[in-house]
Amino acid sequence: MVDAPLLQLRGLEKVWPNGTAALRGVDLAVRAGSVHGLLGANGAGKSTLIKVLAGAIPASGGSVEWRGEPARWTNPRAARAGGIATIYQHIPLVPTLSVLENMLLEQLRGWRLDRAARDRAMAVAQALGDPFDLDAIVGELPIGTRQMVAIAQGLMSDPALLIMDEPTASLAGDEREQVYRTIRRLAGEGRAVLFVSHFLDEIVALTDEVTVLRDGRAVLEARTVDLDEAAIAAAIAGRSVTALERVEREHPVGDAVLEVRALASPGKLAPASFTIAAGEIIGIAGMLGSGRSELLHAIFGADPAARGAVLLNGKEVSRDPADAVALGIGLVPEDRAAQGFIPGMTIAENIALPHDGWLIAPGRERAVARAAIDDLAIKARDGDALVGELSGGNAQKVVIAKWLTPRTRVLLLDEPTAGIDIGARADILRLIRRLADQGLAVLLVSSEFEELLAVADRLLVLRDGAIIAEVDPAATDEAGLIQLASGSQLTTDIAA
Amino acid sequence: MTRTIDWRRIFGLREAGVYYALLLLLALLAAIAQSRGLPNYLSPQNLGNIVYQASLVGIMGVAMTVMLITGAFDLSVASVAALAAAVLVGLAPSIGFPLAAGAAIVTAIAVGIFNGAIVQFVGINAFIVTLGTLTAVRGLVLVLTDGRSLMVERPEVLQEMLAFESTRVPIFWAALVLALILIVLAALKRRVLVGLGGLVVGILAVLAGRDFAVAAPVVYLAIFTAIVWAVLRFTVIGRRIYAVGGNAEAARLSGINVHAYKLGAFVLSSAAAGFAGVLFGCRLGAINPTALQGSELTVIAAAILGGTSLLGGAGSVLKTVVGALLLFTLTNGFNVLDLGASYQGLIEGAVVIAAAAIYTVGGDRRRGRRAAVDTAPEAPAVAEAG
Repeated sequence: MVDAPLLQLRGLEKVWPNGTAALRGVDLAVRAGSVHGLLGANGAGKSTLIKVLAGAIPASGGSVEWRGEPARWTNPRAARAGGIATIYQHIPLVPTLSVLENMLLEQLRGWRLDRAARDRAMAVAQALGDPFDLDAIVGELPIGTRQMVAIAQGLMSDPALLIMDEPTASLAGDEREQVYRTIRRLAGEGRAVLFVSHFLDEIVALTDEVTVLRDGRAVLEARTVDLDEAAIAAAIAGRSVTALERVEREHPVGDAVLEVRALASPGKLAPASFTIAAGEIIGIAGMLGSGRSELLHAIFGADPAARGAVLLNGKEVSRDPADAVALGIGLVPEDRAAQGFIPGMTIAENIALPHDGWLIAPGRERAVARAAIDDLAIKARDGDALVGELSGGNAQKVVIAKWLTPRTRVLLLDEPTAGIDIGARADILRLIRRLADQGLAVLLVSSEFEELLAVADRLLVLRDGAIIAEVDPAATDEAGLIQLASGSQLTTDIAA
Repeated sequence: MTRTIDWRRIFGLREAGVYYALLLLLALLAAIAQSRGLPNYLSPQNLGNIVYQASLVGIMGVAMTVMLITGAFDLSVASVAALAAAVLVGLAPSIGFPLAAGAAIVTAIAVGIFNGAIVQFVGINAFIVTLGTLTAVRGLVLVLTDGRSLMVERPEVLQEMLAFESTRVPIFWAALVLALILIVLAALKRRVLVGLGGLVVGILAVLAGRDFAVAAPVVYLAIFTAIVWAVLRFTVIGRRIYAVGGNAEAARLSGINVHAYKLGAFVLSSAAAGFAGVLFGCRLGAINPTALQGSELTVIAAAILGGTSLLGGAGSVLKTVVGALLLFTLTNGFNVLDLGASYQGLIEGAVVIAAAAIYTVGGDRRRGRRAAVDTAPEAPAVAEAG
């Protein structure tokens, strides 16, 4: 690698008008034909850096060299024309238009259905291995395929550098694999890829070089072969990540609290039966779409089509979340913003949501909120702060705090650490452990199997809506678990 | 634990704009009346008149606000009110006023259940469903009245109806007591606006004098508004109404019966429309088939003037009532001062759009400022969590 880098940043700075410094002098070199990983906790400056490169916001200082020459893009179109394509995390496609039309959104002139444009799109799709039908409506495609459409859209301008902001964040195992293959193929064609991710394993497996940002500075720049996950994680966190280590629990597991009897949901969930005891943490390991959320929703009574029985302390829970809540089951749903909290309400009001009674007691609610803020280390002035204005990790703590009442016996957690930086993630895992120590039964779903291995007492592996195995977390590792949850060889074994 | 009082927010345009607008308009009209040598525009009589004229729209507006808070929409209120009036006027001669009024309100509630059930259980957008019932119920009124004006002929029944609607109620002592309660409450709870409201009520009562009386619908409006306000403000039901509109799925997964609340809003809206229809029918003892046509838009405009969001999760019934007062002050002013009725619609429309603009722009600015303060220590405002 002696040739000059395609993109070279020197001392790049960005200061927001309110005085917050998002980038405090970042050096970064991206070479043609290589995959460059960019990591950092939430707020480290990744998104800002990407926006500067994409021409969406101007830098406040430092220099950008593109193909050996100084460059300064004033708008996204200029960056595009220069040969940089950016694929943002929340795939900005028009769901009501076809794949082809989405790919041609950038097109400026001409007829809506242009023969030549279609041929060009077809060529791009072919280069990606034809992952989709050009005439399919985007809104009807699975999310993994939509990600491929977004990549194809980025490739329409034949960029020399492709920036991908967490392209795999919402994808399941095999869909991720497809994105990985595509990224390798693009690098093989001589393009550079700047790949942003939360997932250390894919950074290690996929990238040639790594840059880690912390507090607006590049704190680690190295070739990936010289690094391991622990070193990267330490650089991201700036401290050792102790919460992810397994700690043997001191508190013995108590009596059975919740019994699930042949709980099924047509087309989504095969009959599942298990019990969970007070103080026990059961981890549910499964890929996206394996029926994890469906299982939790069925237990919570939020799935009207569910069959079978759920018993709490021997009392049957009806198909109604209100009943489940009254009996002491709490659900922290997967999609925090859409299902977990009410953004326009304060922390105190959100926490008080499940409470019954007639009159609101503002004093008591504020005291409860104050206690939760202190207890769970929620970063907020007081209970009157709006939850919609908190960061992801803090909003998640509010959603959990909602259920921390004497009434709650069972806590169902659906991906409680998704989209949260490592520091807050460790906080939440520690909290889960502590709640179980206090006697709560916890059912934990997570895509991060290392988290399950770290905190769960037992693991249930879910695939295609069925519980296929029960695993002792002390006797297995992440790779084994991934194989169980997604491995095709086991399916054939079972089928045979 | 004491609350810090955020003066800039409480008296900012977004929170208090509708009050300023009403005061400004009253001052303007008073000045015009003065300069033209007309009688005092701000006389208790005229102010009482404005409230009386706004009372029907106010009653429907209060229920509409609850509806909008839950995130739904009801275009059918004026048609439902007309239907209730038609049922009342049609039945009163044969079964007497109280029973006919009951039948009218039950009819209205039935329409509300129909609207709500279709919106909730079939899953059609409330705008479309109530646009349908707006037309269909108006058609039903035409069928019932056979396209002609109906009238109550029996004098004793007519007398009863007129009494229900146009009895004048002296409110001096009631207003004074209310003012006192509000001021004490404000002092105890450190609520600036409540205290100010109490002060305004007290001063108005004293200025109006001991013999001042208002028409019955004003009292009905006041009682209904007070009840709904108190339910929204102080009860768990009220919070859940906001929660259902703020994020229905989060509310459902918190154990709140979202269907019941949404259906309840439709029933409340229609029941209020039914009651307004009863008052309307009593006012003249008669109903013509096009009565109240177009009022649904005034009702919604009042709620929007009061800062209620069409997206759900936010809104205040007090401000809706003030919004209705604002609209009827405009109408009243144009009539009393003879300002050229042709301009009235133009001005009303402009006021509604201006109000919405102030709420939207003011709201964004506030959110931006607070977000910057809250996230700065942890993350720059742009770096959103996944």
